[in-house]
Amino acid sequence: MGTMKIKTTINGKKVEAEVEPRKLLVHFLREDLNLTGTHVGCDTSNCGACTVLVNGKAVKSCTMLAVQANGKEIVTIEGLSKNDELGPLQKAFLEKHGLQCGYCTSGMILTSFWLLKKNRNPSEEEIRKGLSGNLCRCTGYQSIVESVKYGAELMKEKEEEREVAVR
Amino acid sequence: MSTLNWGERELAYDVSGFVSGKGHFVDDIKLPGMLHMTVLRSPYARARIVSLKGGMSSKDLKARMASVGEGASSEAGLSIEPVFATEFVNYVGEPVAAVFAEDRYKSADLLESIEVDYEPMKPVVTIDDALSMGPIHLGRKNNIMAETIKGADFKDPDSPIVIEDTLENERISANPIEPRGIVASFSEGMLNVWISTQAVHSIKEGLVESLRNSELLIHVMQTDTGGGFGSKGGLYPEYVIAAFASMKFGKPVKWIETRREHLSSTHPGRGMRGKVKLFAEKDGKITGLRGEVMIDAGAYDSGIASFSPGFVAMQMTGPYFIESAQVRGKALFTNKVPQGPYRGAGRPEASFLIERMVDMLADELKMDPADLRLMNMSEKPFTSPMGLKIDGARPFFESAVKELGYMTEVKNSKGVGLSFFVLVPAVYPGESARIIIRDGRVRVWLGGNSHGQGHEVFVKKLVNEELGVPERLVTLYRGDTGMTKTGVGSWGSRSAIVGGAAIVAVCRKIKEDVVKIHGRYSTESLLSGSYDEFINNELKMPLNSFGANLATVEIGKMGNVRIKKCVAFYDVGRALNPDMVIGQIQGGMAQGIGQTLHEGLFYNDEGQLITSSISDAGVPLAEDLPNFTVKIAENRSSLPHGAKGLGESPTIGVPTALIRAIEKASGKRLRRTPVTPEELIS
Repeated sequence: MGTMKIKTTINGKKVEAEVEPRKLLVHFLREDLNLTGTHVGCDTSNCGACTVLVNGKAVKSCTMLAVQANGKEIVTIEGLSKNDELGPLQKAFLEKHGLQCGYCTSGMILTSFWLLKKNRNPSEEEIRKGLSGNLCRCTGYQSIVESVKYGAELMKEKEEEREVAVR
Repeated sequence: MSTLNWGERELAYDVSGFVSGKGHFVDDIKLPGMLHMTVLRSPYARARIVSLKGGMSSKDLKARMASVGEGASSEAGLSIEPVFATEFVNYVGEPVAAVFAEDRYKSADLLESIEVDYEPMKPVVTIDDALSMGPIHLGRKNNIMAETIKGADFKDPDSPIVIEDTLENERISANPIEPRGIVASFSEGMLNVWISTQAVHSIKEGLVESLRNSELLIHVMQTDTGGGFGSKGGLYPEYVIAAFASMKFGKPVKWIETRREHLSSTHPGRGMRGKVKLFAEKDGKITGLRGEVMIDAGAYDSGIASFSPGFVAMQMTGPYFIESAQVRGKALFTNKVPQGPYRGAGRPEASFLIERMVDMLADELKMDPADLRLMNMSEKPFTSPMGLKIDGARPFFESAVKELGYMTEVKNSKGVGLSFFVLVPAVYPGESARIIIRDGRVRVWLGGNSHGQGHEVFVKKLVNEELGVPERLVTLYRGDTGMTKTGVGSWGSRSAIVGGAAIVAVCRKIKEDVVKIHGRYSTESLLSGSYDEFINNELKMPLNSFGANLATVEIGKMGNVRIKKCVAFYDVGRALNPDMVIGQIQGGMAQGIGQTLHEGLFYNDEGQLITSSISDAGVPLAEDLPNFTVKIAENRSSLPHGAKGLGESPTIGVPTALIRAIEKASGKRLRRTPVTPEELIS
């Protein structure tokens, strides 16, 4: 089968690759780039374990072909921590026990990240609705909701710090 | 990520890695020359294989599945599942052949190279079919896989109230978010296996037995395991095929389950119909119970299919003191995937039967359901007619009625439900543990393997308590048959009990070793030396954990159920880590709601699985669920570390409280899970 050349930015790095046109973005990330933090949990785009950010927006990477990532900016879970320092949502999920088995976690965090970009102060109902494309079988979601709330606080603090630093 | 580079850090349980994508799941493994395996599965519930060409099949590997793990069957017979279907296929999703290629896309393409001709036959789909139709297996007289009676026969009590009903639980898929998967790599005479599992020793034992190769050198290592809930405790045909293929090709072989395969071919739980007759006095005293439990066991004696009816029957008197009881159990063959354990594995089914009946008796007598339950409790320990040892339950449940806020709720709500239960965890036969002390660090392995429960948290705590070593110097590694000679598994609410007891025992052995050398124990002398101890810590004693739940609901015009409150009050023994305990309970409560309102695996008359996605299967979403209220009581068990079981408490207690609340709110008598909106407004 022939291949196509794509140019994309992944976690801030420019990536050029030859891919089969039928290859899903999730398999390109996991198998060609070894970014194994993005997971596959279903075949029907219900579970959201494969969620990544495409041009800033949460997308299920099993619903997109790798070739469709051409010219786009992708962020995976590996891209949320800088120099091994965890981002605010990652810290929040750990501290509030927003995970048990850890398999849905990457997708949960990326969807929450997008949710908080759109809405800095989501209500509990808005968080639960916002996470309806991501399934967790372990936690019952309560600790995930608490993690997102706490993550929102940590993100605000971080922005305030940055503002102070700029001033 | 190549497993060849997995060092000590990569082999430890480490929750913190998951938030930055640094897990070590089985599908993350890449090995040089690795082949991807794809399985061709039966599209029919029942058919004769007329011809089969291409791929690897029973012509290459004519073997039968070993029965290992939770509820393993001891009777070998005609009904053991073949690794590859031989002359007949008996369920949609049964492995028929397998193909291998260097990537998953090419491997899937190769499915087209296999040609199979089937001659479809009329399938046995339901419990009624199984009772009325001829046997699905040649050489059997009927569709009864296993039959049992629990409790002695008794003369019907001379009681004025007799109620009788039939109740059902639909089959449920465990649906961990990580599906099943394995990498098998045979090289230099050794079969290395990496697998998503609850029990590495079951996998080892099962592969050796199924491959009929007792000389096989085999090393089974657990990868990070993304949930299991019972479904990853035992052996499956794909594991045997992958191991065989790796030995045949001399290359590593990877198989990763798709979600559709999980729904069709991973052992689902529940699938129970029970008839119960309850005898009672006018004041509410229950004088006798007769029951019949039938299990929709599937096509083969795998999973817990033949163990189920007796296990449900054993527990059917719940926490109540009922003088006379007898229950008959049958596991029935159907042309469906074999039944297996799912969080509770018989406990929720038994509780569903007794709790529904007690609620019906309360209605019959116009008594308050809490009062009726309490009056059938014992202050003192007793042995049930089925032989279960039950602690004195009444004091706990009297406090539960208060803790749950039941009295206030009854006054304020028309849709309120209450449930009581006793959880009997799987203590027998104990668990193994190994500790190695070297370079000032404590390295720990357990025979039963965490799949999201966070065993490392209690292990660190107990090692700290026993040996005085700071928690940061203690590491628990994932399951590894190279590090523990024997082991059992993680299921049946057992790990903190039996794993914890094994840790305490092995720590005490090491302490003795230190005393022998130094005359007295100190953490400093421990950490400056080298020690290595393994223990197979046998435990047989029966344990009880009591629990109670409350639910309140409203029903919308379209029959949609809105859960207002979902409250638990459980005796968890000593909570080794209260945050983890509460997290376990919340997650189980979500699954209890799932069973009651959303979840099921549905088949049509032809035995075709019509549940085609994880959403169809009803795994609840965040917006489907309420905030849970969890209260715990800490009455220590008799074990040195005081733990009791809790993982299955919520899947036992939530469905029964919730269905009662829905019954009260809707005014409809409810007899099965899942409850559908249609039946509430019809």
